[in-house]
Amino acid sequence: MASTKEKLITHVSKEEPAGPTNKVTVVGVGMVGMAAAISILLKDLTDELALVDVMEDKLKGEAMDLQHGSLFLKTHKIVADKDYSVTANSKVVVVTAGARQQEGESRLNLVQRNVNIFKFIIPNIIKYSPNCILLVVSNPVDILTYVAWKLSGLPRNRVIGSGTNLDSARFRHLMGEKLGIHPSNCHGWVIGEHGDSSVPVWSGVNVAGVFLQGLNPDMGTDKDKEDWKSVHKMVVDSAYEVIKLKGYTSWAIGMSAADLCQSILKNLRKCHPVSTLVKGMHGVNEEVFLSVPCILGNSGLTDVVHMTLKSDEEKQLVKSAETLWGVQKDLTL
Amino acid sequence: MEILDKTIQGESGPVCRSHIPHIIKGIACTCNRRSYALCVAPHAQILHERARTHARSLTHSHRCSAALTALLAAKDTYLTFLQQMIWVIFSVWSNGLHHEGDLVTLTQLWCLTIVIMASVMQKLITPLASGPAEPPRNKVTIVGVGQVGMACAVSILLRELADELALVDVVEDRLKGEMLDLQHGSLFLKTPKIVADKDYSVTANSRIVVVTAGVRQQEGESRLNLVQRNVNIFKHIIPQIVKYSPDCTLIVVSNPVDVLTYVTWKLSGLPKHRVIGSGTNLDSARFRYIMAEKLGIHSSSFNGYILGEHGDSSVPVWSGVNVAGVSLQKLNPDIGTDKDSENWKEAHKMVVDSAYEVIRLKGYTNWAIGLSVADLTETLVKNLNRVHPVSTMVKGMYGIGEEVYLSLPCVLNSSGVGSVINMTLTDEEIAQLKKSADTLWGIQKDLKDL
Repeated sequence: MASTKEKLITHVSKEEPAGPTNKVTVVGVGMVGMAAAISILLKDLTDELALVDVMEDKLKGEAMDLQHGSLFLKTHKIVADKDYSVTANSKVVVVTAGARQQEGESRLNLVQRNVNIFKFIIPNIIKYSPNCILLVVSNPVDILTYVAWKLSGLPRNRVIGSGTNLDSARFRHLMGEKLGIHPSNCHGWVIGEHGDSSVPVWSGVNVAGVFLQGLNPDMGTDKDKEDWKSVHKMVVDSAYEVIKLKGYTSWAIGMSAADLCQSILKNLRKCHPVSTLVKGMHGVNEEVFLSVPCILGNSGLTDVVHMTLKSDEEKQLVKSAETLWGVQKDLTL
Repeated sequence: MEILDKTIQGESGPVCRSHIPHIIKGIACTCNRRSYALCVAPHAQILHERARTHARSLTHSHRCSAALTALLAAKDTYLTFLQQMIWVIFSVWSNGLHHEGDLVTLTQLWCLTIVIMASVMQKLITPLASGPAEPPRNKVTIVGVGQVGMACAVSILLRELADELALVDVVEDRLKGEMLDLQHGSLFLKTPKIVADKDYSVTANSRIVVVTAGVRQQEGESRLNLVQRNVNIFKHIIPQIVKYSPDCTLIVVSNPVDVLTYVTWKLSGLPKHRVIGSGTNLDSARFRYIMAEKLGIHSSSFNGYILGEHGDSSVPVWSGVNVAGVSLQKLNPDIGTDKDSENWKEAHKMVVDSAYEVIRLKGYTNWAIGLSVADLTETLVKNLNRVHPVSTMVKGMYGIGEEVYLSLPCVLNSSGVGSVINMTLTDEEIAQLKKSADTLWGIQKDLKDL
């Protein structure tokens, strides 16, 4: 006797439905991972979302909760498993797994703990998605992007660190607040290390092509009466402040990761400050990853925009590179 | 700077006139350092309050030091600073100028303002339209910044539904942290203003207020257990909301949602069509997802309603379940009954168990309810006249004589519940609704102080 389904629907196609074209995997279903997942879902970026983690109950619960919202989304397949086979054929893999900063803890402290976790995760990802683009979010992001690059064997254009995309977003938000303009029209780039020693490029800060340093030559220095330097200081302190108030940060970094995914999946060739291999640029001689403005598209990070930096800005980048290399050379990979 | 610190701490006693130039210099250095201003702000607030309430009894120097520290509390933009300055000058003036010293102070303060205003902003931007800012047109407030509240917030933000978002809660640190975290993402959003405060004045002029505050179900706990605890919380929340947004539409999400929507309606004094419970909007979404998966189609192409109580005794209307207008009950007359060999009834059972299952696995549910609230908000804000199964006042329908809220298919628009669809229900389904109504009324009649 025919089932209800058979009475209702007659299958006509002789082909198998095609596999996913825009699959995204999120590794780690903590607060950051789930914020990235919901941002990606609400921006309709992908036709399949896979979640992976080691905590099975939480993973299953999160997947179910998202699936129950399917009616309101345009991503028809949401899967989750401890086993990496669910991640097969991903275009972009967002890695958020790892330990997070405690209150007052700096990002560099997390290194060795997170390297060990990556030694398990990265090879598994590559096994099932050998052509993916890795987007590393876990902290310290610049070092871990280097680690992911080494462990994955992928070419450097396919391993991207979320880097100072978030710092720049925070900077532009604060700049927008000061000027009463929407952040998307307040242009300012924070580059270098994602963390305490990021570099705000004051010479590039502009609105509608009007360079603010031209209007205020002291901008970014200690003698600046308007104290724009404190805007950058607030960006550096932001994460610590939010962690102190609510225990962790999630929404801003989730939205920033979704923004990067959008540029990659839709091949937008937009310019973002993300972490990439900077050896040979701006006087950096070590194999380290730092954030510089990069063009992102569907083959990953294809080009780097060469910023005209002042000598003290370049010195800061070189110094960050040395600090990072100091930590990286002691890692057992 | 020391003098400044001492003034704020109130240690040096009344500020004498000779201190004032130093204080002004201090302000010039610190004015734009928000972090300094923020830690000074609590002290400034206290002095501010004292200045306002005891204006006449304060000596000249007290007023000045109060006014000056109030300046330090000036927050974000230069415009706010200017407004504060004007207020300060006006209030010092209106409190009676006896001294020529007052005049000197005012002149110095005014010069200071001019100096600071000739800033990058002035050189960069020429304002054209002056006058007060327009009030927001699509402001949404979310009460409660727990997991559900924040999921609602993010869904509403990412769907670009509001031009202003306000968050309210009692836990101040967490509230501020959540606000900052959302603000840091403002580059990626189209909602230019995100505010948060413990004080409900921040919610003024909201079109939609989503109430998620309250205690949540523990593992294995039923929704009805939470009632009295949440009623007490609502007695504090609802009057404040209505005070600041008398024309809003309220969406109640906290559980048990049907009872609490009734409570909200009573406490708010709003007409019944402006108080909506999220009700079985989520149950129906889960039902459509589960059924659609069984058929291999997208949930939006599967039509089916779950009505009645949001919870263990919700009613799936099998007679209405259809795909492309083809009624599944006509294809399978046993659908939804125990003799159905395909056991479609299982789908409804899974819906009822969903919440408990997700709570067991991850501790709470948030994403699905957040998305469903954003869906309702979209219909209300955009005046879409879409049909949603939400909790509304059903007295007089289906033979229900009590004032209870249950979910029925409602046509929602910018005035709230515009109309209710009269579903053709079987006698059994009507009996189930009546039974839910009786259970809910049994709880509601014992609630105190509504």
